[in-house]
Amino acid sequence: MIQRLVRGTRRALGLHHPGRNLEVWPDDVFILSFPKSGNTWTRFLIANLMYPDTPADFSNINRLTPDPEASSKRELARMPRPRIIKSHQYFDPRYKRVIYVVRDPRDVALSQFHFYRKRGLLEDGYPPERFVPRFVAGETTPYGSWGENVAGWLATRQNRPGFLLLRYEDMLEDAARELNKVASFLEIPPDTERIANAVRRSTADEMRKLEKSQARLWSSTKGTRQDVPFVRAAQSGGWKTGLPEAAVAQLEAAWGHLMKHLGYELLFPARTTNFDSQFVETMLNGPSR
Amino acid sequence: MIYGIKQVLNYALGRDIAGRTLAVRPDDTFIVSYPRSGNTWTRFLIANLLFAGQPVSFANIERLIPDAEAQSSRYMKRIRGPRVIKSHQYFDHRYPKVLYITRDPRDVAVSYYNFSRKYRHIADDYPLQQYVHGFVTGTLLSSGWGTWAENVGTWVVARNGRPTFLLLRYEDLLAATQTELAKVARFFGVDASPGELSRAIENSSADHLRELEKKEGGAWVTTKNKRSDIPFIGSAAAGKWKSVLPGAAVEEIESAWGNTMAQLGYELVTRKAESVETQLAAMAVLREQEE
Repeated sequence: MIQRLVRGTRRALGLHHPGRNLEVWPDDVFILSFPKSGNTWTRFLIANLMYPDTPADFSNINRLTPDPEASSKRELARMPRPRIIKSHQYFDPRYKRVIYVVRDPRDVALSQFHFYRKRGLLEDGYPPERFVPRFVAGETTPYGSWGENVAGWLATRQNRPGFLLLRYEDMLEDAARELNKVASFLEIPPDTERIANAVRRSTADEMRKLEKSQARLWSSTKGTRQDVPFVRAAQSGGWKTGLPEAAVAQLEAAWGHLMKHLGYELLFPARTTNFDSQFVETMLNGPSR
Repeated sequence: MIYGIKQVLNYALGRDIAGRTLAVRPDDTFIVSYPRSGNTWTRFLIANLLFAGQPVSFANIERLIPDAEAQSSRYMKRIRGPRVIKSHQYFDHRYPKVLYITRDPRDVAVSYYNFSRKYRHIADDYPLQQYVHGFVTGTLLSSGWGTWAENVGTWVVARNGRPTFLLLRYEDLLAATQTELAKVARFFGVDASPGELSRAIENSSADHLRELEKKEGGAWVTTKNKRSDIPFIGSAAAGKWKSVLPGAAVEEIESAWGNTMAQLGYELVTRKAESVETQLAAMAVLREQEE
């Protein structure tokens, strides 16, 4: 009761972090992904593209691309519009303009495993094969499982206006090409120089340098182990050496159909159709193409 | 300011509507559907099955199978587990076990139109076609639940095929109530004899619910203070849209959601669904899952 009174008062004054209860405006743009899928990199790319006069870093990124989990309701309400909002939420019908970044779940699992070590949630030496079943069950984030998060957005929005799907792997291959898509989605003139600059300012090396000097300033890295970096490999395919085969098989058995849909080649294609993939596949193929 | 204080107090006392902020427990089971898709009927069927000792009515349904969209956080907290909860929410990953009911969106639109008149959200002469446009684009008052396709789509792609998810079509429930209810009973872990199933069906019939609504509709949270000349229990039939919906409205629904509809076995009349082979394969999978 007292707790709810305190919480309620903070709420009334707008001091709480709204998270999923964010008040959404029709012109909001969301940079959305499951955690550990390249969201921060995308935020830097887009911030550097949108605001070329203010190079993005860890001290201003929450102002340039606000995070409803890290800013108060009051701060969020005062942001200049249109807001470019960072989010990990599973499907929310109120979000009308969404840039969704998706990444191979095998790499996501591995990345989250290391991130949880960084946050002190897993001890060094905790075996990944024990982490992966929890990851598959959706117990490691409050945003649904990877499959629930991705499928919910794709089934409702893919190939519809107001939705841009980016693959992290494509961004790694050619960041400028993918950022060009973002520019046209945001109706920013596709100026080659401006895009090249944004890409240059957001490379993994640049971000690592910034992290070294600013990690204690930023909401996501404050109070975490400084010996495990937030900006990690920034590569694809790390799972091939970092995950045991059994864990890979488990991930593919749960989400093989979605992974195929997204163009991620399976290591065990024969074992993956226990989920009624055909049904989901056709649902995902959208309304009319 | 006064409004703010009232809100703080309501929240502190747990009088806020549970809705999406409901505190979910690991042993909860949810009856989820888009509004106007047979949820109340299913609630009665299940209540009559699970609580066979007492006559189920609008006077006690909120205690037996509470409505998270209508009851407060405090009320929901006081229900002893394992709870069976009615919900209209689009996908919520916290729901551990879900019975999802889907209904032909063309019929949902017709039923919703009457419901919106009952709730005085629209006037009697509001054009049906305009209503359907709002229904498809998600601009009606109900948009907090997403559009029909968003609601169905998020649940089905995230959960279909798992042991903790049962997909039911309202149309099948109408056509073969006993068979479908037997599936539901199994899902709830209830060993129901044919006699018990028939009794639950009888006690939940549309005629019986209409009688109950007449007597108790004025007191039930969902129908209290709403127009009593339009019933909450509608036609309880499938295919009414064929005679009621203007062609352009049917076309709008099908062009927006045709693929999802076809996947669920709702035949399209204004366009063809995607590749026939995929459709057939998908239906085969659906049937297999049902068996």
